[in-house]
Amino acid sequence: MWMSVEVNGHIYEREVTEHWTLLRFLREDLELTGTKDGCSAGECGACTVMLNGQAVNACMVLAAEVDGATVETIEAEAANGELSEIQAAFARNYGVQCGYCTAGMVMSVRELLRHNPKPTVAEIKEGIEGNLCRCTGYQQIIEAVLDVSGQVTNETKGGLKYV
Amino acid sequence: MNDIFKYRAPTSRAELFGLLAAHGEGAKILAGGTDLLVDIRSGLVRPELVINLKKVEDFSDLTWSQSEGLTIGPATTVNDLLHDAKVRDCYPLLADCALTIASHQLRNRATVIGNIVHASPGADMAPGLLCLGARVQIASQRGRREVPLKNFFTGVKRTVLRHDEIVEAIIVPPGTAWSRGSYRKLKRIDGHDLALVSVAVTNKDGAVRVGIGSAAPIPLLIEGLTDQDPADTVVAAARDVIRPISDLRCSKEYREYMIEVFVRRSLEEVR
Repeated sequence: MWMSVEVNGHIYEREVTEHWTLLRFLREDLELTGTKDGCSAGECGACTVMLNGQAVNACMVLAAEVDGATVETIEAEAANGELSEIQAAFARNYGVQCGYCTAGMVMSVRELLRHNPKPTVAEIKEGIEGNLCRCTGYQQIIEAVLDVSGQVTNETKGGLKYV
Repeated sequence: MNDIFKYRAPTSRAELFGLLAAHGEGAKILAGGTDLLVDIRSGLVRPELVINLKKVEDFSDLTWSQSEGLTIGPATTVNDLLHDAKVRDCYPLLADCALTIASHQLRNRATVIGNIVHASPGADMAPGLLCLGARVQIASQRGRREVPLKNFFTGVKRTVLRHDEIVEAIIVPPGTAWSRGSYRKLKRIDGHDLALVSVAVTNKDGAVRVGIGSAAPIPLLIEGLTDQDPADTVVAAARDVIRPISDLRCSKEYREYMIEVFVRRSLEEVR
């Protein structure tokens, strides 16, 4: 199918394989490999991207469905060689270990903060419940979100408080 | 996605019904895709044609009116329902049910009607919609028909829907608006998980209804109870109809036990 889609501010017009997912289209056609393929079944959230401004699992969307839509991926997060505020907070708080979940995690955090600029720990956990991380135990990621939303103090930092 | 299928995105009901009539069993409807794409990938279904219904322009959206109640359209996502001010005001139970479905990303795509049409015994929207007396509006090239939700399910992942038909709307009648309601879902973890059991209880002007999920091949509804009935009577009515199984998630006995616990707690909450 011939389609037109805006990805990270660029318009792509091309033939798309009708049975491919958005995830495969992004990674193999557009070579945007920052978005990761974890479970391919909507369980792990590694492939989370923004579709028309909403976080979705790219493995759960057909590429053909995004005809006319706007997609943003992790590649749009850093600008001019500078990490975004969310990315910098992840780095500062050691919220990245192997990094496989990070792209999707950052997308989910962005969606959470858009709706809720100062989330509580419970709300952060709910916001990232669709993203699995097998390294950090989530503690550092939760701290990164508290940090980027301006809620970190010496008392809230460290000590495995949020797991 | 290894299986090859064709994709179409009709823009009108007529075009959609024409495709369904022409392709019969070979066609599958794609709404949110959160069940269909998983089923295709695992080889459970092998459609020759996938029909995206989100581009159809003459379907209804999520609407509410005093005379008709709540109409849920084919493209209404779980998050649309969850964040709708009218739903939160008139049918907060539905928002409670919706919030327990999967994760935020999936709720952005998954549709309410898809949750019902997929007909999982543990469908999270089913117990609440059953309690609220929802009706299912079915349409095809041959016309329209309507069935009460309690008559819609026929077995595990089976419904009265024929191959050329789609669910065009789910209608929640105005009569059950502002019911007192309570939904409880048992999961293995705090994060997203399927229901081990789920129980919804409503009380509308003294009439009590109980909806139960993951307790039988289909979601169950118990009617004809009142808020004067002792809890033991309601629990006995639930015991009469449930037929839980043991599976990888938990045992039959645990399900029976927790259904009783949930019925008692939710009943207390709506009295």
